[in-house]
Amino acid sequence: METTPSAALPGRPAFDAGRWLRGDRLTTLNLFVTFLIICLIFASQAQYFLTLENFVNIGRTLGVVGIVSIGMTMVMISGGVDISVGSTAALSGVVTSILWLQAGIPLGIATLVGLAACMLVGFINGFLIAVVRINPLITTLASFSIVRGLAFVLSNGQTNQLANPAFQFLGRGEIAGIPASLLLMLALFVLVFILMHFTQFGRNLYAIGGSAEASRLAGIAVRRHLLIVYTFSGFLAGLAGIVIASQLASSAPRAAVGLEFTVIAAVVLGGTSLSGGKGSLIGTLVGVFILRVLDNGLVQTRVSSFYQDVVSGAVLLLAVGFDQIRQKLTSSVRNRS
Amino acid sequence: LTIFNGHVTVFDEIQQISTLFNSHGYRRRVIAQTFRLVIEYFGSVSGAAKMNISRKSFSLITAAAMVTGMFPLMATAQGDACPTAQDSYVIGFANLTEDIVFTQLVRDGILAAAEEAGNVEIVLADNRLDGATALANADNFIAQGVDGVIEFQTDEAFGNVIMSRFRREGIPVIAIDIPMPGATFFGADNYNAGRLAGEALAEWVNENWAGEVDAVLVLELPQSGPIPAARMQGQLEGLQDNLENPVAEENIFFLDSKNTQEESFQVVSDTLPTIPDADNIVAITINDGTALGVIAAAEAAGRADQIMVVGQGADPSGQEAMVAENSRYLGATGYFPEDYGSYLVPAMIDLLECRAVPPAIYVEHVFINAENVCEYYAENWPDYCTTE
Repeated sequence: METTPSAALPGRPAFDAGRWLRGDRLTTLNLFVTFLIICLIFASQAQYFLTLENFVNIGRTLGVVGIVSIGMTMVMISGGVDISVGSTAALSGVVTSILWLQAGIPLGIATLVGLAACMLVGFINGFLIAVVRINPLITTLASFSIVRGLAFVLSNGQTNQLANPAFQFLGRGEIAGIPASLLLMLALFVLVFILMHFTQFGRNLYAIGGSAEASRLAGIAVRRHLLIVYTFSGFLAGLAGIVIASQLASSAPRAAVGLEFTVIAAVVLGGTSLSGGKGSLIGTLVGVFILRVLDNGLVQTRVSSFYQDVVSGAVLLLAVGFDQIRQKLTSSVRNRS
Repeated sequence: LTIFNGHVTVFDEIQQISTLFNSHGYRRRVIAQTFRLVIEYFGSVSGAAKMNISRKSFSLITAAAMVTGMFPLMATAQGDACPTAQDSYVIGFANLTEDIVFTQLVRDGILAAAEEAGNVEIVLADNRLDGATALANADNFIAQGVDGVIEFQTDEAFGNVIMSRFRREGIPVIAIDIPMPGATFFGADNYNAGRLAGEALAEWVNENWAGEVDAVLVLELPQSGPIPAARMQGQLEGLQDNLENPVAEENIFFLDSKNTQEESFQVVSDTLPTIPDADNIVAITINDGTALGVIAAAEAAGRADQIMVVGQGADPSGQEAMVAENSRYLGATGYFPEDYGSYLVPAMIDLLECRAVPPAIYVEHVFINAENVCEYYAENWPDYCTTE
C-alpha cells in the first residue's frame, strides 16, 4: 500500500515512482488484472460489451460513485469512515432545486449553496469526530439519518424537475465524445492524487490513519486535517448529488440511497484499509471501474438481478480475500529469507 | 372485598367494567369481559373458598357482576342491534410511510374525508415500511381505544400477527393494497391498472409506429412480490394483446428498477447499447419515478426519439413529464391516492355501524395522459390547462 505510518511522518521523501511500481503496488496490479479478466469474460458473453457506445455509457454512469469514492478514500486513509455520503448527495440536489424553483435564485448560485450545505454537513461531521471525539461510524451514522430526514423535510417528500439544458450538461453532456461527469471525476482523481502523494498534507493523512496519537506527538495538527477531510468528503458527496440531479433532470430526497455501501465496497476493493493508514487512489479508481463493469456486464448478459447482487458481493470477497492471502504469503517468504 | 393479598379485587374489576361501558367504543368488549368474569367465578369449584371470603360476599360479588354484565346485553338487545355503532368514532390510520408523495396524498385524503364526515377523529401513525413498526403501531391503537383501523403496511407475515391483535379486541380493519386475513381489502386493481397502460401504449404504437416494436423494456420490481408483479403482467399483456405485431420474447428485457429513478437510469443505460438497431423501443414501468429514469437514460444516450414510456401512478412528477413539450412519457394509470379517503372513511363507518361492506373495494383506475390530465388535475397545471 502507499505507506506505513512511521514512514509517512514529516520528513519522509516525497513520492517514489520506482517504489510505487514495485512490491506493494501488486495489489493495484492484481486489481487491474481482475478488471481485465472481467472485461474479457463479458466481452465473450455479451455481443455489445466491447463497443464504444457501451464504454461511453459506462463512463457516464461511473461518475457519481467515482467522485464520492475519492473523498471516502481520504477519509478511510485517515482512519475514519463516512456513512452519510448518500444522504448528503440527496441534500445537495434538494437544496439546489428548492432554491431555484421555489426561491427563484439563479441555478448557478443555487447549486453553489447546495454544495455549501453539504460542506457544512461534512464540517459538522469532522468537528464531532476530531474535536468532540465521537466515533466516526456513530457520528456519520447519525448524520446519515439526520441529513436524509432533512432532505425529506425540505422537499416535503416531493421530486422536483430540473429541466435546464445547461444544468443537465454535467450529467449527460460530452466533451470530445467523453462524458462530462467522467472527465470531472478523472480531474478530481488527478488533483487528489497529487494532493495525497506530493504534499505534506497527504502524507500527514496516512500518518494520522496509522496512529493519530503518534502523529499528534510528531507535531501534526490532527484535528485540522480531519476537519478538512470530512468537509471535503461532504463537498464531493454534494457534487455527486448535483451530477445525479443533472443526469435525471430532477432532485429527489430518496436519491443516492445505498450509495455509501457501493462507495465503501469500491474503496475497500481498491485496497484501502478499514483501519486506516493504508490506501490507494488508483486502487479505488480500479475498484470503481470493476464494480461498474460488473453491473453493466451482468445486465447485458441478462443475469437475474438477484444473482447480480450475489456476484458483486462474491467478486468483492474474492478480490480482497485473494489479496490478503497474497500479502500473507509474501510476508512469510520475506520473513524466512 | 379485597382478595388475594392486594391483587386485583373483584370489586375493582366490576368498577373497571362499568367505567369501560360508559366510555366510547367498548360495549362489545365490556360484555365479553363481564361474561368471562362471571363464568370464571361460577366455574370455580368453590369461588368463595378460593378467594378466602364468605359465601355471602361471594354471592354479592357474582350478583353484581351479572347485573353489570346483563345491563349492556339487555341494552344491546332492546335498542341497538349493532354493538359498535356510536355517535362518533376514533379511527386509527397507520400509513405505509410518510416519505413518499403517494402515501402523503392518501393521508391527506383520509383526514379530509374524516372532517367531511363530521363525527370521525383520525389517529395517525407511520409504519415506516416496516412490519415490526406496524405491529407496534397496532398495539398503540389498541391502547388508545380506537374503534376501527385503516392499515397500510406491506409485510404479509406481520399482517397475520397484527390482525390477530385486532380480532381479539373486536376492532374492524380495512387493509390498503396488501390483503390482511379478516380485514376488508381496499386498493388498486393492479392487473387491470397495468392493463390500461399497456393498452394505451399499444394503441399509440399502432397509430405512430404501424404496430412495430423492436424492443420492450420492462422496469419491474421483482423483490416486492405479487402485487407489483400483477401490475407489470397487466401492462405487458395489455401491450402484447393489442399490438398489431406482438413482440418476440427475446426482445423483451426484464430489468430490476429497484424502485428508484437512478437504478432505472442505470439499467436502461446498460441495456440500450445492446439494442443499437432498435428504432422503436417501448418501456413499461412500475411507477412514475422509474419511468422518468428510463426517459432520462434515453435522453442521455441521444435516443429519446426512439422510445415511448408508460407508467403507473400519475403523481405530480409524472404529470409534469406528460405535459412537457415533445414528451416521451405517454401517460400513467391513475391511482388517485387523494381520493382513497372518500372510499375508506365511509366504508369504515359502515363497518362500525354493521352495514354490509364488500370484502374487497377497488379503486377505479383511469389512464392519465396529456389529453385528459386537465380533467383530473387541472389545478396542478394551470398554464397548460388554460392553453389546452
